[in-house]
Amino acid sequence: MRVTRRELLAGAALAPFARARTRPKIAGVITVLHKYSHGQHFVDRFLEGYGWNGTHHHPEMDLVSLYVDQHPEGDLTPDRAARFPSMKVYPTIAEALTLGGSKLAVDGVLLIGEHGQYPRNDKGQTKYPRYEFFKEIVKVYQSSGRSVPLFNDKHLSWNWDWAREMYDTSRRLGFPFMAGSSLPVTWRTPSLEMPPGAKVREAMCVCYGGVDGYDIHGLETTQCMVERRQGGETGVEWLHAYRGENFWKAYKEGVWPTDLVEAALCRSHTLTPAREGFNDIFPTLDDMCRIVRDPVAYRYRHADGVMGTLILMSGLITDFNFAARIEGQKEPFSTQMYLPMPDGRTTLANFFSPLVNGAEKMFLTGKPTYPVERTLLTTGLTAAGVESLYRGQERVETPHLAIRYQPTKESTFWRT
Amino acid sequence: MKRIAIITTVYKYLSHAQHMGDRFLVGYPHQGGWHKPDMKVVSLYVDQKPQGDQSESRAKEFGFQVYPAIAQALRCGGERIAVDAVLIIGEHGDYPVNELGQILYPRYEFFKQCVEVFEEDRHAVPVYNDKHISYSFEKAQWMVEQSRRLKFPMLAGSSLPVTWRLPDIELPLGCEIQEALMVGEGGSDPMDYHALEAMQCMIERRAGGETGIRSAQMIEGDAVWRAGAEGRWSKDLLVAALSRSDTPQGLTLKDGRTQDLVGNGELPKLVPKPAAYFIEHNDGLKTTLLMLNGAVGDFNFAARVKGHGVESTQFLLTPVPNVTYSACLVSKIEEMFETGRAPYPVERTLIVSGMLESCLKSRSQGQKRLETPHLNVRYKPPEKSQHARA
Repeated sequence: MRVTRRELLAGAALAPFARARTRPKIAGVITVLHKYSHGQHFVDRFLEGYGWNGTHHHPEMDLVSLYVDQHPEGDLTPDRAARFPSMKVYPTIAEALTLGGSKLAVDGVLLIGEHGQYPRNDKGQTKYPRYEFFKEIVKVYQSSGRSVPLFNDKHLSWNWDWAREMYDTSRRLGFPFMAGSSLPVTWRTPSLEMPPGAKVREAMCVCYGGVDGYDIHGLETTQCMVERRQGGETGVEWLHAYRGENFWKAYKEGVWPTDLVEAALCRSHTLTPAREGFNDIFPTLDDMCRIVRDPVAYRYRHADGVMGTLILMSGLITDFNFAARIEGQKEPFSTQMYLPMPDGRTTLANFFSPLVNGAEKMFLTGKPTYPVERTLLTTGLTAAGVESLYRGQERVETPHLAIRYQPTKESTFWRT
Repeated sequence: MKRIAIITTVYKYLSHAQHMGDRFLVGYPHQGGWHKPDMKVVSLYVDQKPQGDQSESRAKEFGFQVYPAIAQALRCGGERIAVDAVLIIGEHGDYPVNELGQILYPRYEFFKQCVEVFEEDRHAVPVYNDKHISYSFEKAQWMVEQSRRLKFPMLAGSSLPVTWRLPDIELPLGCEIQEALMVGEGGSDPMDYHALEAMQCMIERRAGGETGIRSAQMIEGDAVWRAGAEGRWSKDLLVAALSRSDTPQGLTLKDGRTQDLVGNGELPKLVPKPAAYFIEHNDGLKTTLLMLNGAVGDFNFAARVKGHGVESTQFLLTPVPNVTYSACLVSKIEEMFETGRAPYPVERTLIVSGMLESCLKSRSQGQKRLETPHLNVRYKPPEKSQHARA
């Protein structure tokens, strides 16, 4: 082991050993724990370990407490609690964080507010209680006079103001904060990274799923790539959503570059065959109009002029494909963010493995593995997309999304 | 524009002929674009026309002829060979099974008829032979010899060696492989063949290249677990290979949990009839294929490489119906048709055809170890990686 002079002077040379002996304690704050819920994917990877770097990896930390908000049929909480007595289930978030005592007693918190029965608002957003959970967590941080790293699954909140408040609170209290989707960190086919400093002009994700559910995944897919462009992220000025007939009209008018849509679709492994008897045939525009149910696009402009487009083409594909136009490159830059989806083809949603691993790294080092500003921005874009649709597909100005940040130098997607 | 003949057993939805042949007709995804080969399918021979046969409708739509005999297909009904390349797809269709459990696909018979035309017309063209060259090594060897004798490029094999890998690794050329293990699933002899060829494309990159194999043995049942306990195959490598799997069965199916299938003791419960294929190479390398039906549903490889530790990866079989892995293979076939050079040696598939046959013979002969002096197939791997990574 190499000891730096400063550590030696500080008498801290033994600290790494001490750290090795005391494994971080982690609390899980989740909505539900049933088969294939996000809560299950996270909790089980901490309890059971998971395939990582060519071995069955056990995190060097212990999930010691759990708060589960709902216990529907198929609830796995009792089974996991019984098989892992080192993890206690508490009836409140505060108790999960204090381990039943009066002060914060864990070294990191996982906030998984996805799945479960929660009301939807008139804009179609499911009101997952991430903000509410966050507030409870922060209350303990504040009353204990100590804050620990927090990982938040998916976007910060369905509500932009709350998301901003969550971000600002983390800055004010100075705790490491990470969030987001698994799309930025999963396998890519091909295994490509956006070259740092690339002069990106246009970037797009063509994927599937619903508004306020999968749009965030597509936005994160694009954002983890474009943030690496020359100058880094500069924020987003406006967003315009298109849906249904408006989508096809915009498509035909070339509101977004159709060659990039095609480039992205050429990375798909799940193109619905446009003709009976063919297993893999590229669809014509007419085919797409016939096959795609309820198409949605969010077209948005970054402050530095880079254009982004999210396209949801449910019915045509069930994967996430990225394409970009880079200055100086003749062909589009494209890849697929590959999800081994347990939709019958796999049994494990292993794209959670790199997400969990990123959280683990933060719990061990105290540094976010990648910037939470990425997810702050995509949270705002998701809300802006929902808002634009709600206002009859009009363009919405997004001065509140003047979010500037720099990406990590190193790649953080799954490649080992 | 190159003219292609397709010689196949059946042409129906999701048969190999359909998903590979169609790629020459409607194009396929390749390196981020929809690639349309600058080639034209001009003739087709189908051995069987079961319900769902698409040969006539394809011929009509894409302007080629279905001929009743292979020679006619190669000559497009004329006097002399009139194609620039031949795609032989002897997979799917109703064919007898021999006592070793091998389906007797008529690849040798198809190939022989092509060779006869090449000889009579004194003009040989590139041939791709889908999957293993033949169920019989003797036949396979004869086929490869004809390609050497008549000097036509020949490519064969599985799509596993050329599909995406998770992670995208390649073993360094000239590395020292200490042991290798492959995990697969599915029936014999289609899926064990794919698994063996996936392993072969990795281990052929070792120092000295492929040196041929000395012995083959296939065991089944509890003997497989005993062999593991005795160290005949490496538990570490099995852990590594299974760590790449997205499809553990059993408790994962029940409630979604992740599993260390080796550590939690579930493996024997999940796999009532495991099979191990032991291959001993002439340079001393020992490799093992474990077919673990019931435990996982994907194909994963691990090897201990001197100076690199354990390397492992999954050979990604992308979803049905697109099966885009076959597009990866078709791009290699197209490359050979275009350039006249096989991008990787047909000897890879030759040796795998032989090792599979010998393993199946071992099984039928009381699971005993068989010496395989006839599998003295030596070859060097391609320097460049050939799998999908761009």
